[in-house]
Amino acid sequence: MTNPPPTTSTRPQPPAGETYVWVTGMGLTIGLVMILFLLGLILRNGIGVFWPRRVAEVTFREERDTRFREGLRTLGVILLEQDRDIRDLTPEQIESPDPADRREKQLFIGNRDVYGQSFAFFNAGNIAAIDYPDNVIRAERLEWGDALLFPVRLHSRDGVEILADDPAFDGTLNRLVREVGDRRREINRIERFAIGRINLQMRDLELRERFFARQDALTPEQEAEYATVRQRMAELQAEYDPLAAQAGVLRARQMEYTLDYRVISGEARSMPVGHIVHYYYPNRLNTPARVRLMAHHIWDFLSGYPREANTEGGIFPAIFGTFVMTLIMSIAVMPFGVMAAIYLREYARQGSLVRAVRIAINNLAGVPSIVFGIFGLGFFVYLVGGTIDNLFFPQALPTPTFGTGGIMWASLTLALMTVPVVIVATEEALAAVSRGVREGSLACGASKWQTIQRLVLPASAPGILTGLVLAMARGAGEVAPLMLVGVVALAPNLPIDSMFPFIHLERKFMHMGFHIYDLGFQSPDSEAAKPMVFATTLVLILLVVVLNLLAIMVRNHLRKKYAADTF
Amino acid sequence: MTNRTPKPIPERFIVKPATLWFDRFMNHFIKVGGLSIIVAVSLIFVFILIQIIPLFRGARVAPDRTMPIPADDYIALGSDEWSELPFFLTADGALRFVDTTDLPEPYHRGIFTRQAGIAQVADVTAVEFNPYASHLVLGSNDGRFSIVDVVYRATHPPRGGREVQVTLEETPPLRIGREGHPLRIVAYGDRGARKLLAAAQWVDERYELHAASLTQRQTLMGAGELSVEQTFDLTEHIDRRPAFLLVPPDADGVVIGQDDGVVRYVHFDGRRFTLRQIFEPFADLDDPRIASMHFLLGDVSLVFTAHNGAQRVFSLFRDPDKDMRIWGHTKTFPDLPGPATFFSAAMRNKGFLTGRERFATLRYSTTENIRWEQELPFDVHLAEIGPRYNRLLFLDTEHQLHFYDLHDPHPQAGWRTYFGKIQYEGRAEAEYSWQSTGGRDDFERKLSLVPLIIGTLKGTLYAMIFALPIALLAAIYTSQFLKPEIKRYVKPTMEIMASLPSVVLGFLAALWLAPIMSNAVPSVILATTFVIASAFGVGFVWGRLPRRIRMRLKPGYEFIAFVPVMALVAYLGWRLGPVVENAFFVVTDPDTGLRIADFRMWYPRATGLSFEQRNAFVVGFVMGFAVIPIIYTITEDALSNVPDAFRSGSLALGASRWQTAVRIVLPTASAGIFSAVMIGLGRAVGETMIVVMATGNTPVTHLNPFTGMRTLSANIAVELPEAPYLGTLYRTLFLGAMVLFLMTFVVNTLAEIMRQHLRERYKAVE
Repeated sequence: MTNPPPTTSTRPQPPAGETYVWVTGMGLTIGLVMILFLLGLILRNGIGVFWPRRVAEVTFREERDTRFREGLRTLGVILLEQDRDIRDLTPEQIESPDPADRREKQLFIGNRDVYGQSFAFFNAGNIAAIDYPDNVIRAERLEWGDALLFPVRLHSRDGVEILADDPAFDGTLNRLVREVGDRRREINRIERFAIGRINLQMRDLELRERFFARQDALTPEQEAEYATVRQRMAELQAEYDPLAAQAGVLRARQMEYTLDYRVISGEARSMPVGHIVHYYYPNRLNTPARVRLMAHHIWDFLSGYPREANTEGGIFPAIFGTFVMTLIMSIAVMPFGVMAAIYLREYARQGSLVRAVRIAINNLAGVPSIVFGIFGLGFFVYLVGGTIDNLFFPQALPTPTFGTGGIMWASLTLALMTVPVVIVATEEALAAVSRGVREGSLACGASKWQTIQRLVLPASAPGILTGLVLAMARGAGEVAPLMLVGVVALAPNLPIDSMFPFIHLERKFMHMGFHIYDLGFQSPDSEAAKPMVFATTLVLILLVVVLNLLAIMVRNHLRKKYAADTF
Repeated sequence: MTNRTPKPIPERFIVKPATLWFDRFMNHFIKVGGLSIIVAVSLIFVFILIQIIPLFRGARVAPDRTMPIPADDYIALGSDEWSELPFFLTADGALRFVDTTDLPEPYHRGIFTRQAGIAQVADVTAVEFNPYASHLVLGSNDGRFSIVDVVYRATHPPRGGREVQVTLEETPPLRIGREGHPLRIVAYGDRGARKLLAAAQWVDERYELHAASLTQRQTLMGAGELSVEQTFDLTEHIDRRPAFLLVPPDADGVVIGQDDGVVRYVHFDGRRFTLRQIFEPFADLDDPRIASMHFLLGDVSLVFTAHNGAQRVFSLFRDPDKDMRIWGHTKTFPDLPGPATFFSAAMRNKGFLTGRERFATLRYSTTENIRWEQELPFDVHLAEIGPRYNRLLFLDTEHQLHFYDLHDPHPQAGWRTYFGKIQYEGRAEAEYSWQSTGGRDDFERKLSLVPLIIGTLKGTLYAMIFALPIALLAAIYTSQFLKPEIKRYVKPTMEIMASLPSVVLGFLAALWLAPIMSNAVPSVILATTFVIASAFGVGFVWGRLPRRIRMRLKPGYEFIAFVPVMALVAYLGWRLGPVVENAFFVVTDPDTGLRIADFRMWYPRATGLSFEQRNAFVVGFVMGFAVIPIIYTITEDALSNVPDAFRSGSLALGASRWQTAVRIVLPTASAGIFSAVMIGLGRAVGETMIVVMATGNTPVTHLNPFTGMRTLSANIAVELPEAPYLGTLYRTLFLGAMVLFLMTFVVNTLAEIMRQHLRERYKAVE
């Protein structure tokens, strides 16, 4: 036996295939960069919406485009600078030695009531100077978006007048804006709740009345009820009138003070202080003040109602709708999913049938969400909802009550969609509970159910919870099926409110995901809607990512626990 | 035997009855609950199936009742929407109305006759009836014509129910052609502003062809009387006796079928007539003569039958060579037993009822489908499809009127419609096309699922091209080379990507990425190429570096070290993009003569394909976000679950980490990787929101990366809200959902079987 001769090379060869290790590393790097970049992009753009930015006064070199300004100056928030589309350039610009001639700046110019648009692009090469005037006010209004204005004076109906350079001007305006805000909430309270309640009762009575009016002959009892209905309607009318009057008085007071102002194009304008939601001097703020203002903006956004076709105001109804829908979905999905998993794991005989069922359930997890949507529309809305309407709400027909999309059908559709997630997670958790625990319990004389209830379920609870959280995250982020079964861009009422029966399962609702779709793609001015879309996206992403991280953390924690726990 | 009482069971062993009862109850409850959720889940499949079954049923026709009609020489049959008061037109211009309701005496109107005005002053020698517009054209033996509108109106009399009233609105006799000579054939077309009448007149032992354009005076009281605006002599355009004459309702021409089997199409542009086309529908037959010639709904299709029973449809479409609309052969139907003796076109779709003697057949032009055919127990003289497409009326030669119920809610549906090539009206060739709505009532729906399936596959293809390499490479690196303590953070980060709602991805794709990408296609391509090349380059160089330099970087940190390299080369690629664009992708502006370097303009000119901002390229990239984490997670799990003994053994034998990964771990986990790819594929196939938002949703049948597409899922999302409940479109969308369901079902089942297979394999190893 001879050994092979030793290799003569003294330099050790590098391990084979190091090149390809780098290539696989590239895959991971790209994946990580993609996700981190995307999250960063959304974070930056979403937060940026709330940051109170300075308002610039831009002076141009020469007069080329006379819109949105007077003379050579315009006013706006500089949003971005970019290359112009080559197809829009003139030959001179293409040939120009100055690259700034081929770039443009986007400005938020506000004052949509004056200019007809809120955003404008200006040729970067034409800009001579940029400075930040001290006395600009940025005012958030009930209509027409924000205004960028120079205040001139405040005056009231009864002749009080304060000029803008008066030291009392600022304090007065501040107080007035706060007062109109309080009054606006009061009007809202009256109209939404007090009058809304009356309207709701009125509607039911009208349906009843219509029923009697259609009848050819009425029995004496019906006759009596008819009279009561009419009397009750009169009473409600009597309740309604003073409330409406009160709201009218408050509304009139909103118009008491008027703010005269000037926009950069030189036009003198005025608006009632009642239209101002909120205002600030963007160029006078220091950093802490800006942070405070940003917090204020974020709070307004999260708690406010949308205005102006959803492009202004807050997204509270969308957050609330997403929340309620996810909640109802969880209530529906939890017991059924867990029950099915317990059946599959603890009760069913493990054979080819159960194997087939498992394949089917895993399959279901992979069925496109839109298929659930079309099923929800056909089955829940048209078939079940239509039947409910015919049985219980015939007086309202042909206006459907349950026979149209609503929060209940949407929740049930999503529950069906997410039930495989819960089943799979629960099954996994049940399987992780060791056999010994079960056998010990049974040997001590516990019944099967007692074993499951007292030992198996508690041990697998975190795993089940993980499944539920994952299901919630998937449900909260899903839009495609909801578009078919009851989500709307603007719902007049919340699905839960203080009016009997408090939970209105038949109502249509708003949803953050659909809000993004609707704002970005259905709104007439998608540029104006962009900040809102980014802000909504941020909220939705935060919600979904937090839910997912929660699930991942619980899962990792469990794995460790079980790894140590085996007999 | 002593009577021993059994020893009492100690109390602590006695189970409370409530416990046992509860246990039994829960046993059943869980079983019922568990089974019911499983049933509910399979219900989805069954429900969708039930929705689509009616699409593949033929028409159901059942005899309803029969009633006698007074004997006469009838030449046409028309009816109101409910067929309550149909009328029979006699050869001499009388309309006989028959009340077919079963109302009691004072309300029942029996049979009554109305005479058209022209029939009272002259002998009627030519009659045409257009059931869709419900007007009659009567021509007399002295060269005059009159147009009679049969106006049906539903009234609601106090006794309840419905009563159909009829009135005749007719023009006074108007003159056409030569005075005193009989009109033998008349035809009339009317579309609001333009009205055209054509007539064949028997003059001195030969036929002359005349046309007249009509105008209607508008008065303060509404529409005024019709009068002849201008007359034309078209005799020069025919060379034989005209046997058939048709005017499209657009009033833009006259179609003349001659007795020798030649059809001449004379076009009218409002001022002049020009002979546009001469064709012979049955030129290939022994007897080329035409036995019948009729319009279908929409009047751009003609149904011809020959004397031997052959039946063909000709449609008007734009001939690309001549650049004008001419007639061409589009459909062929199975032969009838002989020349058709009766014909009726449906008023709601492209169906028609035809046949001869006892044989009746209901056919559908778009799909060349026979909906129903039967030998009837009587000889048919006249037939009509009820205006609502729910009833067939036959008048037999014994003067019996037979009512048949027609139940055919989806006449156009069928395999051919959904998966076959069809030459639609107005199209020069057969194609796969989806266009579910059109501007007009007589629009021919195009419901082929093929473009949608191709769109789905196109989106999936581009998503997979992008996602597959990244996901697989990343998974291999994570499971084989990455330090476990880093993996704890890396894997969840990648998994977060899976949770991004697709509406967010769609929004970013459409409003943020698409404009950037379309501005800088060369930059994107260069940056991508550079990044890939740099990975190979760095890896190659690194492997050849001296050992002590290589020792500086611990194994498992390569992916971090690659970040600055990647940033650098990506930036370089991005900045080089415009340079490359300037060098290669240049077009010359025809107006100014300027050289413009722009890929968007260069691409269509160079390839003949179009360029859209929202395209498959963008969709593929963004859908990667949805697909990468799925493939990544499952692949990584499969690779990590390969028993450690394998790796240890391989490494101990001196294999490098790469050799171990590729030759030992990868083959062992291949089933799991396959399953990961399949599940990723399933996700891409069903993705909805990204496609809805980031493409133009135009159905296409090509794979051009720079145009959008419409996928099955997006199609459902876009069209379902507008689809009427249980209509053809509604059910077709369910069919689309079923196709989608089956596609993902196959893919997922494959994946699941592979996964179970893998599990068995690992068990065997352990």
